[in-house]
Amino acid sequence: MITVRSRFYKEGDMVFISHLDLIRVFERAVRRANIPVAYTQGFNPRPIMAFATALSVGVASKGEYIDIQLSDKVDADTFMESLNNSLPEGLKLIKSVIIDSKEKSLMSVISSSTYIMKLESKEPDSKEQIEEYIKQFLKQESIIQLKKKKNKSRRKNKKPEFREINIKPMIKSIDVFDVKGNEIILKMHLAAGSESNLKPEVVIYKICELTDISIESDSTRIQRLDLFKEKEGKYITPIDNINTI
Amino acid sequence: MEKLQIENLLYKVEKPARYLGNELNSVHKTVNEDTIRFAFCFPDVYEVGMSHLGMQILYGLLNNEENIFCERVFAPAIDMEEEMKKNNIPLFGLESRQSIRNFDFIGFTLQYELSYSNILNMLKMADVPIYSKDRGNNDPLVIVGGPCVYNSEPIADFVDIAILGEAEEVLIEVTDLYNNFNKGNYDKLEFLKKAALIQGVYVPALYVVEYNEDNTVKSINPKFENLPKTIRKRVINNLDDSFYPEELIVPYLDIVHDRIMMEIFRGCIRGCRFCQAGIIYRPVREKSFDRLQNIVKNLVLNTGYDEISLASLSTSDYSELEKLVRHLIDEYGSKKIGISLPSLRLDNFSLQLIEEIQKVRKTGLTFAPEAGTQRLRDVINKGITEEDLVNASENAFSSGWSNVKLYFMIGLPTETDEDLLGIKDLAYTVIDKYYEVPKEKRGKRLNVTVSASTFVPKPFTPFQWEPQITLDEINEKHKLLVSEVRHKNITFNYHESRTSFLEAVFAKGDRRLSKVIEIAVEEGCKFDGWIEHFDYDKWMNVFEKAGIDPAFYANRRREYDEIFPWDHIDVGVSKEFLIRENKNAKAEKVTANCRTSCAGCGVNQIFTGGVC
Repeated sequence: MITVRSRFYKEGDMVFISHLDLIRVFERAVRRANIPVAYTQGFNPRPIMAFATALSVGVASKGEYIDIQLSDKVDADTFMESLNNSLPEGLKLIKSVIIDSKEKSLMSVISSSTYIMKLESKEPDSKEQIEEYIKQFLKQESIIQLKKKKNKSRRKNKKPEFREINIKPMIKSIDVFDVKGNEIILKMHLAAGSESNLKPEVVIYKICELTDISIESDSTRIQRLDLFKEKEGKYITPIDNINTI
Repeated sequence: MEKLQIENLLYKVEKPARYLGNELNSVHKTVNEDTIRFAFCFPDVYEVGMSHLGMQILYGLLNNEENIFCERVFAPAIDMEEEMKKNNIPLFGLESRQSIRNFDFIGFTLQYELSYSNILNMLKMADVPIYSKDRGNNDPLVIVGGPCVYNSEPIADFVDIAILGEAEEVLIEVTDLYNNFNKGNYDKLEFLKKAALIQGVYVPALYVVEYNEDNTVKSINPKFENLPKTIRKRVINNLDDSFYPEELIVPYLDIVHDRIMMEIFRGCIRGCRFCQAGIIYRPVREKSFDRLQNIVKNLVLNTGYDEISLASLSTSDYSELEKLVRHLIDEYGSKKIGISLPSLRLDNFSLQLIEEIQKVRKTGLTFAPEAGTQRLRDVINKGITEEDLVNASENAFSSGWSNVKLYFMIGLPTETDEDLLGIKDLAYTVIDKYYEVPKEKRGKRLNVTVSASTFVPKPFTPFQWEPQITLDEINEKHKLLVSEVRHKNITFNYHESRTSFLEAVFAKGDRRLSKVIEIAVEEGCKFDGWIEHFDYDKWMNVFEKAGIDPAFYANRRREYDEIFPWDHIDVGVSKEFLIRENKNAKAEKVTANCRTSCAGCGVNQIFTGGVC
């Protein structure tokens, strides 16, 4: 088995398709491109592919990752070119490498993600003021998010149960990039992956709740910059410093 | 025309991918002065509309014409509609994101009666006057087609042109005529009068309906001498020569039928007496194996789908089915592309064939006995015996299936409690067959889904004279079934009776119902086919306001000599045949299928090219 790891972007209209839609788009693109993809066994064979994490609908990304397993050897550049030819506008592989099949899965190595986000405040604020809000926010000992518990019982109309999650340790940093009139640009570094995952929209929601900042929630636009794993205290992307074949 | 800015709305609504319009194989054209703009509207949400094969065919066909730009429009979901209203965004074509207000044609496909409210709502969202008489020379022409068009009287006042039958040829004839008119001095009435002379084109405004004192129809007559007294549908003689798309639009979203749809034949040889499709799509015409082989090759290449569905009214009646299926398995099995065969009949399907299909991809099994006893199955001319079902399920269980669906109808003419209990008996017999298969051979956890829908008498069927049973009677039947069909292996579903009632009203309705639909839409009725949106009480109030008794349409037995609101429409099958079949039903007499012997329905007197 051969595994190809690729970095791709999701932008333009493609931000409006869900993670499940994205899987279908890749499956069909791989088939149209005639790439010798490996299939799962069983009653409903699917191309073997795995993504790093799911992106919320409406969020763009410059750094998404996918592993695709092949049944035959294909040169990484040829793979990238032929798949790009069948992907829709807004989805594009920017780097593909053939990796060791024993390499750990994307999902298990990813631990954090960076985002850039554009917010619109109701009143124009100075950069200092916004920085002050963020400082206030980050000073909290714990920041509690109520998360709906999955309904495990078979009763459909059961009242939802919530559990409290402290998201404070999942925030690595929040920087105020720029403030111009009503426009605020923030950069965030948040936990992401199977161990702990924090969505940037949740952070915005909590900032609004815990500080006096006031923003038009419908106008928030988010872009993921990249995904990282941690190695010896450093953040590196899952496609860098990797054994390629 | 200006491109509407909808991007900000897309961040606010559910499933924004419904409104993107740039899916794989969608067509985008540069518009010039001569471009005919055609909005193909499906009056339901994206996921339903995109599953409709007819739209894919006509979209491809129209866009194949250099001077036509056909775009798709679906009913925006409730949340999107609200956002559009808030932001003053009119209904737009998905591809161009331009308002359809100034398009040349706004087409609607009439797939089910309960979508009529959505049609009006969409016209309103487009800011187009809803009544045909209020639309002038500068307004779009509203054109409709699809199965409900054979009795489009309830919406006739809103429509400019109804296309009867298969649209591939006639639609182009209409747009050509329009193109010629457009070059000179376009006058809507003059255009419609000319268009009405094309076979398959019905212009409701050019026909006058008179009523008797008892509210039945007295007469339907053309307003002008040169117009035909009855309007005959169109059929395609040779499907091999006819257009079929070799690219299908591939959606991002998970739609209802998300696969390659390959139409293998039109028409049906069976003649089930409740089935409108079985009559209106006559005569039977098949596509050749060679043509299908070519089509599927390109569709696989151009879509990337992992499943091919063979579409028809009764797939197992395709004469080269075995050859076709083997070809598909040989050619595409190694690429893990599966095959699905909907509409299989119990009596003649080859389980061996299905087993081979299953080696690529596993699917469920659905049987439609429709009625619980042989007597009632004879009444409806469903030529299936209990033995067929028993054999089929026995075979299925010993090859490892453990999931079977059984479809039934309740409220069929002459139905008694004994027939209802027959549903239970049949389901229990199927379960017995499962347990007779040795444990190691059969699949685990048997589940038999029993679904009961309510019979809706439809125009152009042998049951068009029959009343629908009342809501109280339907509910009694549901109660009986719920209390009787209790088994750990059975999941019992039944269809909401009140939507079936409204469906029956509009299926057999006349022009006076347009008022009802207009008021209902004003009061907010829409998405009536969706149980979460359907408001029965509101509808009943509207009928009262309009002074119209819905039971007159749905629950009244009609005499053989009554003039129907759809009697000026000619589907090729004679009324004498339908009367004969209605009498045969009452005599519990079975009529053989068209391949065994011709029942003399009359369609071969008019159209050629079928098996008959």
